[in-house]
Amino acid sequence: MRSLGAVAVAAMLGTSFAFADDATPPKPMKMDEPMHGEMKKETMKKGDVKKAAEKKKRERKPSTEKEAAGAAKK
Amino acid sequence: MKKRTMETSLAGHSPRLIRSVERRLFLRQGLSLGALAMLSGCNLTDDESVQKVLTRMSRWNDRAQGWLFSQSKLAPEFPETAITKPFPFNAFYSEDEVTIVDGKSYRLELSGLIRDKKPWTLPELYALPQTSQITRHICVEGWSAIGKWSGVRFSDFLARIGADTTAKYIGFECADDYSTSIDMATALHPQTLLTFRFADEILPPKYGFPMKLRIPTKLGFKNPKHIMTMDVTNEYPGGYWEDQGYNWFSGS
Repeated sequence: MRSLGAVAVAAMLGTSFAFADDATPPKPMKMDEPMHGEMKKETMKKGDVKKAAEKKKRERKPSTEKEAAGAAKK
Repeated sequence: MKKRTMETSLAGHSPRLIRSVERRLFLRQGLSLGALAMLSGCNLTDDESVQKVLTRMSRWNDRAQGWLFSQSKLAPEFPETAITKPFPFNAFYSEDEVTIVDGKSYRLELSGLIRDKKPWTLPELYALPQTSQITRHICVEGWSAIGKWSGVRFSDFLARIGADTTAKYIGFECADDYSTSIDMATALHPQTLLTFRFADEILPPKYGFPMKLRIPTKLGFKNPKHIMTMDVTNEYPGGYWEDQGYNWFSGS
C-alpha cells in the first residue's frame, strides 16, 4: 500500500515538472491550403506566413544589426 | 455680427486649451477623411496610392491610440465562474496542425536593446515570480472569451533582462512563423503578462506552449503564442497581420 502511495506521489511530481507533451503528433501544416480564420483575404495560403517571416527577417537584418552595434558601443 | 473663427473664439485662452481644441479638430477632420475613404468603395482601396494613404491614416491612428493609452487604466478582470468553457482555439491553421515546441530544448532568444541577452530556458522562466489574471480575450473577428492566464509580469521580466524601456517597440517571432510587435507603454502595463499557464495548467500547445504574451488591453492578434524570440528596438518591426493592413496598435 505504501509503495502504491509512493508511486502516486512520484507520478504527481513527475507531471508537475513535465513540459506539455501532446500524445498525438501534429499533422504537418499544409502550406498550399487556404488559411483558416476570418482575418485572411480569399487568396491567402497558410504558407504565406512562413514566406513573410523569411522576407521580414532578411529585410530587417541590416537595420537590427546596425542598431545592436550602436547599442554595444554605448 | 462678427463671424467667429477659431482664432477669435480662442483668443485669451491658454495655449494648452488651444492645442487641445486644434487636436480635436484635427481628429474630426481625420475621421471625416477616413469615412470618405471607406464610402468610396472597395475597388478604390486596391489602388496602390490609396493603400499608401490608408496606411498613413492607420499609422496616425496608432499614434492617437498611443497618446490615449494609460498604464493606470486596467482591463476588467472576472471571477472564475465567468471563464468561457471550452475556450476557443484560433489560428491561421487548424487545431491538428498546431506547432509543437520541445520544452526540454526550448530557449527564449533575446535581441536588440537588451543588456543581458542570455537565452532563457523554461525552468528558469517558470522560477520567476508568477501572477494570474482572468480577463477577456477580444478577437478582431468579432468574438470574445474569458480565460485565466498565469505568468510573469512582462515589465518585471524587461527589468530583469535590462531592456531599454525608452525604446519604442518590442517585436516577437513565434514557432509557427507568426510575428507581431507592441509599443513599450503596453509592454510596461501592469496587466501585460508573459504567460506559461492557462487555467492553472502548463499552456497546452493549442493555446501557445511554451509561452504566450497576454495583453488584455489589446486585440487577440496582438497576443503572440509559441514565442521564440523577442527584440527590443526603435526600428518598427510590424507583424504578419499588421503588414497586411491591420491596425498596428489595436488596443485601448
